[in-house]
Amino acid sequence: MKYKLNLITLALLAPASFMATAGGYGLAEANTENVKFDKWVCKGCTVETGTTGSIGVGVGYNSEEDIKSANAFKSDNEFAGKLDADINYKGDKGYRASIEATDLGMDNGRADINVGKQGTYNINLNYRSIATYKSNDALTPYQGIGGNDLTLPDNWVTAGSSSQMPMLYSSLNPFELSLHRERAGLGFEYQTESLFTTFVNYQREEKSGIKQASGSFFNQSMMLAEPVDYTTDTLEAGIKLKGDNWFTSLNYNGSSFKNGNSQLSYDNAFNPTFGAQTRGYMSLDPDNEAHTVSLMGQFNDSVTAVSGRLMVGKMSQDQDFVTSGYGYQLPADSLDASVDLTGMNLKAVTRINRELRLNGSYDYSDRKNNTQVEEWTQISINETNGQVAYNTPYDHTSHRVKVGADYRINYGMKLDAGYEFKRDERSYQDREVTDDTNLWARFRVNSFEKWDMWVKGSFSHRDGSDYEASEWTSKEQNQLLRKYYLADRDRSQIEARVSYTPIDELTVDFGARYALDDYKNTEIGLTESEDTSYDANLSYMFNADVMFNAFYNHQVIKSAQSGSSNFATATWQADIEDNIDVMGAGLSYNNLMDSRLRLGLDYTYSDSDSTTQVRQGITGDYGDYFAKIHNVNLYAQYQATEKMGLRLDYKIEKYLDNDAANDIAPDAIWNVVGFGSNSHDYTAHMIMLSMSYKL
Amino acid sequence: MKTKMTTFPLLSALFSLVLFMGITSPAHAAKWDEKMSPAEVEATLDTKFAEGKYSPKGADSCLMCHKRSEKVMDLFKGVHGAIDSSKSPMAGLQCEACHGPQGSHNRGGREPMIAFGPDSSLPADKQNSVCMSCHLDDKRMSWNTSHHDNADVACASCHNIHAAKDSVLDKQTEMEVCTSCHTKQKTDMNKRSSHPMKWNQMTCSDCHNPHGSLADADLVKPSVNETCYECHAEKRGPKLWEHAPVTENCVSCHNPHGSVNDGMLKTRAPQLCQQCHASDGHASNAYLGNTGMGSSVGDNAFTGGRSCLNCHSQVHGSNHPSGKLLQR
Repeated sequence: MKYKLNLITLALLAPASFMATAGGYGLAEANTENVKFDKWVCKGCTVETGTTGSIGVGVGYNSEEDIKSANAFKSDNEFAGKLDADINYKGDKGYRASIEATDLGMDNGRADINVGKQGTYNINLNYRSIATYKSNDALTPYQGIGGNDLTLPDNWVTAGSSSQMPMLYSSLNPFELSLHRERAGLGFEYQTESLFTTFVNYQREEKSGIKQASGSFFNQSMMLAEPVDYTTDTLEAGIKLKGDNWFTSLNYNGSSFKNGNSQLSYDNAFNPTFGAQTRGYMSLDPDNEAHTVSLMGQFNDSVTAVSGRLMVGKMSQDQDFVTSGYGYQLPADSLDASVDLTGMNLKAVTRINRELRLNGSYDYSDRKNNTQVEEWTQISINETNGQVAYNTPYDHTSHRVKVGADYRINYGMKLDAGYEFKRDERSYQDREVTDDTNLWARFRVNSFEKWDMWVKGSFSHRDGSDYEASEWTSKEQNQLLRKYYLADRDRSQIEARVSYTPIDELTVDFGARYALDDYKNTEIGLTESEDTSYDANLSYMFNADVMFNAFYNHQVIKSAQSGSSNFATATWQADIEDNIDVMGAGLSYNNLMDSRLRLGLDYTYSDSDSTTQVRQGITGDYGDYFAKIHNVNLYAQYQATEKMGLRLDYKIEKYLDNDAANDIAPDAIWNVVGFGSNSHDYTAHMIMLSMSYKL
Repeated sequence: MKTKMTTFPLLSALFSLVLFMGITSPAHAAKWDEKMSPAEVEATLDTKFAEGKYSPKGADSCLMCHKRSEKVMDLFKGVHGAIDSSKSPMAGLQCEACHGPQGSHNRGGREPMIAFGPDSSLPADKQNSVCMSCHLDDKRMSWNTSHHDNADVACASCHNIHAAKDSVLDKQTEMEVCTSCHTKQKTDMNKRSSHPMKWNQMTCSDCHNPHGSLADADLVKPSVNETCYECHAEKRGPKLWEHAPVTENCVSCHNPHGSVNDGMLKTRAPQLCQQCHASDGHASNAYLGNTGMGSSVGDNAFTGGRSCLNCHSQVHGSNHPSGKLLQR
């Protein structure tokens, strides 16, 4: 709404000289009594059949050895190739097909193929990949990386501390910490002429790679390369029915997760301590299944809309327990765990008149963990022997009610406000019930020429039933501890945005946000957290061909917590401050060289920095913990012939991060065998040349 | 946009961003906006819609004047201009299905028609009522009161149906479009750790439905955890030893948009863990880090390396019979 009004005109207009109705222009409401459809032959409607689109290939070169650069460059290979396609086929009688592919062959490739007849059926084939790279120089003395049995070299000599292990440094080998996902899917949808649609979508995702884990014996620990070999199958199917003002659907969603490894075994690098254990066994994520059925519906007549969903679901897991190295009686071979999920949502919104709209909703969700509570003997890791523990299958129920209203004062001013109440009920936890109430309001003005602004404020309060250190959680907890997700809390937030367009070519906008969480009844635990941020953005069009934009975002997050080292009132405090700066600029120049050439430059810099201070009589800090990243992309696109286009991209990533707690040698901590420093410091370059051809 | 944009993501991202902010060219206010106030336009359109004076020959009547516009004719490249589908507007009231009854607009074009997009003087909810009357389905059933509806975003502010392809649907430009308003998330995704959104490997719509949903934050699944399990099914369990805040809500500990800490954690270990664990023993101690008096943050297992996770590695729950302390 860019209509330009001044305040006087607005004031004059406000008494409704023209009464607009609350309803909209829905097709079902259209008054078509007098339409002579037999004359509506649409001679001028020209739909061209045939194949259109473009296809492209590209090749890139990246010389950087630090594999982390592959996140930005989308390939860990020195040379990378890619295929792009955007092809559309239109036939007679509504037959259509399309192929879309982006960066196929690179780490983040996607492809989507659709074939079908419009309004009748569609077959879809899709593919997608994602890769994330952490490091290619993590160090480990273990052999068998990638597998589920990690062993130390035959000549390994254990010791009481990592720095005394004689074979450690000669046994270290670098390996890659990275994860790759590949996802492929097949979908089918069928629609009838009238009300009915049905669909089924199947998808398989494979995730592979290595992630970091730790295995420990008593107080000694080794970092381990945990193999990732996951397969997740998802099936969705449903039927939908639709009328003029209503819609309903019944859906099934099933997901099955399989882990190629059920356990990870590893040698003890240290001298055996309690229990004389020389081998450790870790249970890896178990195979599991989840199924949900939901019924949804909506009625909408442009004045009132009511929608709702009923959902029932089940999550289950019955993987055999890891028994290697566990010498006790088990109550069962597997857990046979199951959780029932129930959900209900109901929402209504109605327009009382042109100015006022009311809305309300109720949401219910319930997680019931039906898993049997049994007695489980714990392996002794210290002087205490053969302790027995009971599992605590958590139940959680929540109810939430929302009511709200929005009032349009006039064409350029709107006020909306709402109230929310949420109750959470939990089992086996320190606090069984928490209640959250939240009030918010927002005012928006866009009636002034060149200005658009809004301000929003909210206040929420959480309290609940008595806070008790439950016997189920841990009877040894400090009585003054209030876990932050259960604790009493007052949360205040205010946010404002202003957008200013002094001339058509220039837009400047500015936003600021402040939030304060006050855990006012907490003595031990998180006591306060404060989040302040602001951002500024500018876009300027020098002329029809040259565009410039720039942005700067700044955020500070501060939090404070207290602890007690004598198990009574607070004896120490920790203050954490995160400072974030993100800025960037982009410039593009189009239509150079007789409209054949485009040039562009994009630059982004981000600096995330965190400091931690802990005070107990004396003050200590956690040293450097930052990431500073520069990214540059310079590109030129040249239309060589009518059909053929060329593009050259030059990308730079200058990356520097540090974490003093991890910038250490594998034996820096006496009771840990680590992966070595995980910091990065590189300047990586990539050149990519691509060519596209118009069909 | 004369040239295909899809193969050149950055440029087209920038271009759509500028389009999105509505500054590509002077506002395309319609002819009638010069003489009529928005209230008059809306009241006139209400009356026209109720009267239902549709044109004598449908699209052919409109094209008598509008066929010279490339933009108008581009409709026939997309699905809304399909002439052989019973579900296309062209099978029904044609142009007037969306733009409303012609009335006497054909006499000089001064009488308002329903116009779409950020520059239309017609309030967004009235524009959208046209689109929503056909697009009534499970993906859009919560549009009313959704985040974007409340913010008066018109469907046509993001979508363009007079085109072979709707550019907002391009995954390569999605992040730019969303973060042009959602600046806090733009900061987050540039932090030390985040989901891989900075390079478009993941996009906002992987987790959020821009048209609203019945869940918090317009998530695509009924709850936060079920949304996370879509890709992190290994954390679904149910495992023998659950970690209560993990089972309840992944965002108890993580900020999925990004964080200055590794692993998108809201706070680093050991402080994060010590916000909930204060038993008599090592969990209650103050870990001072670098004191300048001989101790440093990297010299002990409580603050160095993986901190608490050096031993309690299975923070997302353990299925080992002896896993109560989330160690194996």
